[in-house]
Amino acid sequence: MIELLLVPFLEAAVRTATPLAFAALGELVAERAGVINLGLEGTIIAGCLGGAAGALLGGPALGFAGAALAGMLIASVFALFVVRIGTDQIITGTALTLLGLGITGTVFHVAPAVVGAGQVIPTTGPIAIPGLSAVPILGTALFRQPLATYALYLLVPALAWWMGRTHAGLALRAVGESPEAAAAAGLSPRRIRTVAILFSGLMGGLCGGTLVLAQVGAFNEGMSAGRGFIAIAIVVLGRWTPLGTAGAALVFGGAFALQYLFQSLGSSLPYQLFLALPYVLTLVLLAALRGRAAAPARLGR
Amino acid sequence: MSELALALRDIHKRFGATVALEGARCLVRPGTVHALLGENGAGKTTLMRIAFGMLHADSGTLERDGRAVRFGHERDAIAAGVGMVHQHFMLIPAFTVAENAALGGRGHLDRAATAERIRRIGASTGLAVDADARVRDLPVGAQQRAEILRALMQDARLLILDEPTAVLTPLESDELYGWMRRFTASGGTIVLITHKLREALAVADEVTVLRRGRTMLEGRADEISESALVTAIVGEGAPRAEEAPRGRSSGAAVFTLDGASWADAQGVLRLSPTTLTVRAGEILGVLGVEGAGQRELLRLLAGRLSPTAGLVVRPDRVGFIPEDRLHDAVIPDFSLTENHALAEASRLDRLVPWARHAAATSAILESYDVRTTGPAAIMATLSGGNQQRFVAGRERQRAPQALVAENPTRGLDVRATARVLDAVRDVAAQGGAAVVYSADLDEILAMTQRVVVCFGGRVTDVAPPLDPADRSPYARALLGLGA
Repeated sequence: MIELLLVPFLEAAVRTATPLAFAALGELVAERAGVINLGLEGTIIAGCLGGAAGALLGGPALGFAGAALAGMLIASVFALFVVRIGTDQIITGTALTLLGLGITGTVFHVAPAVVGAGQVIPTTGPIAIPGLSAVPILGTALFRQPLATYALYLLVPALAWWMGRTHAGLALRAVGESPEAAAAAGLSPRRIRTVAILFSGLMGGLCGGTLVLAQVGAFNEGMSAGRGFIAIAIVVLGRWTPLGTAGAALVFGGAFALQYLFQSLGSSLPYQLFLALPYVLTLVLLAALRGRAAAPARLGR
Repeated sequence: MSELALALRDIHKRFGATVALEGARCLVRPGTVHALLGENGAGKTTLMRIAFGMLHADSGTLERDGRAVRFGHERDAIAAGVGMVHQHFMLIPAFTVAENAALGGRGHLDRAATAERIRRIGASTGLAVDADARVRDLPVGAQQRAEILRALMQDARLLILDEPTAVLTPLESDELYGWMRRFTASGGTIVLITHKLREALAVADEVTVLRRGRTMLEGRADEISESALVTAIVGEGAPRAEEAPRGRSSGAAVFTLDGASWADAQGVLRLSPTTLTVRAGEILGVLGVEGAGQRELLRLLAGRLSPTAGLVVRPDRVGFIPEDRLHDAVIPDFSLTENHALAEASRLDRLVPWARHAAATSAILESYDVRTTGPAAIMATLSGGNQQRFVAGRERQRAPQALVAENPTRGLDVRATARVLDAVRDVAAQGGAAVVYSADLDEILAMTQRVVVCFGGRVTDVAPPLDPADRSPYARALLGLGA
């Protein structure tokens, strides 16, 4: 009986956490360079659109490429304004989120064929890894997932190693702590910030691509549903480390999955209470973890 | 004769309307400690930032080891074997010493190897520092050693040290001097930016003196007399006819410091225990180079700081003209009337009497010769001199009996300077007490009865010399040479 509930719950937790982890890891890199990218929500929805359009043209592979490209396009505008022109990060990011939501919504209404409204979008299904997926309880959750999830299994340790063990990772963290010190050491803070922002755009785009191509199988207006902002909270909960961020994404995936679980149990409580769960969790965890600040010293400036 | 390690010739540099360097020259021979001397704002740091690629000269030439070079960025200078230890350290507090040292490298980051290299260089130079310690946990002396080590790890053979002993204890300073001599003995070159004359004479082989962006004196340290250096640093300063009479006032005490001291949040003592009385009818002059404690002294008197130990007795209302008026005295986007009302912004018990503030503002515009369209003008639209006259007038109006002025004529032209100084004189003339700090020795001597000098956080009363034209006692105290 327990297994009957637990296995679908864990599977849903990992599945829901996957797009969140993509977006959060991208945001993590930007924030370690001192950039808070509130345009993340906009890059995610752009990624959704790019993913749907690409997949219609050439299947899931082109879909992911389109998602990444669309995310980077939004991010490059953000980089242009924030790094080159020197506008305020918060305001620019908010504007790009609104712009991303607006443009994708407009395309959805004006040219529904582009995003495949009413059509079947080619998607990637779960791939079971032989052997590992047969492990009781955790096997299905961890190893019967779409390809995107497996990509994260490789990316998270790689990012942790890169940030901690390479000069490039050190340079990234230095820019978030003190651009002046980084410049004095011969680095170019502007170039590093630009690359970090583009990476966050790439990852935000892939978050949107995963949503469309590995989960929903369709594009809908506003389907990013606040994931960009949740991803920013995940980075905070993850204490600005790759492993912590991946863990925090999993916690949020769990909160979403719990909501499906309660609904499927036919609880008499209003379902809106469960919908609120991930957001209540954000507030509770932020309060519980307060004071242990590990934020980059020059975040947002 | 060997080629020069570093040669800066005919360097000009302006920041907006301010001329920082006007044909400055600095020629540094290899294997020497070269002291770059001068007052605040003489252009020492600007000149060396140009040598390090942080700033670009408007005109002039730069040579490294006899070859003409152009440093567009710090990394160009680093590649040419030049390192700089800044007055405000360029270390990242959240990083370890090893991480800071590795910054700017490429490829794989081998922490163990970096830490080992720091230990090795530390052992061979005597600059020991814990490679795995976070910089924010280290005392300033160790932070400085870490910064020097970082430059050495980047293979710097010419090291620019900007006021390195400002943050060090005497013992740490001696260790640093020892290392400097060893470094130059092994073929390295050091440029030592300092305003401490004794330090320069003790450790330097050669000296360049800058004054107002020009090179005033250069030569071997053992061939230049101390008095020639002092003259080159502070200028001749022809005695002025209108100089104020020296001596003490016998009026009632207006300000009294009784063993008052101030330490910052890190517990560093910025102002040593000071006992001082300023009496009615008196103007006390304060001298000091940057960071010598005058900033804290003035703020204790003005009530902007509370003493961490000891006692400060001062009137309820003290006018204060801070050095940075745009940050500390006015709100640039507010109108003059609004800025006038700010002085009473802490009163929350009633509505703001705008009509009264507008009338008072008009009175200031009239009597302090503030040239603008009227009380409704926005502060930011006024010139610096007009802003400062407004601040002087407002503070005089607010507290007629006590005024503290911090470098009140900085950046002002002759006319504005005269009006602001009149405001200070008026206080004493009307039976109040004024304290004024200025970077300009002549200005202080011209208007004050009594002078104290800050050096290293200590306040020293300087007895007036027998010959009123003799500036050397003040200059010596300013440069830390004692009376």
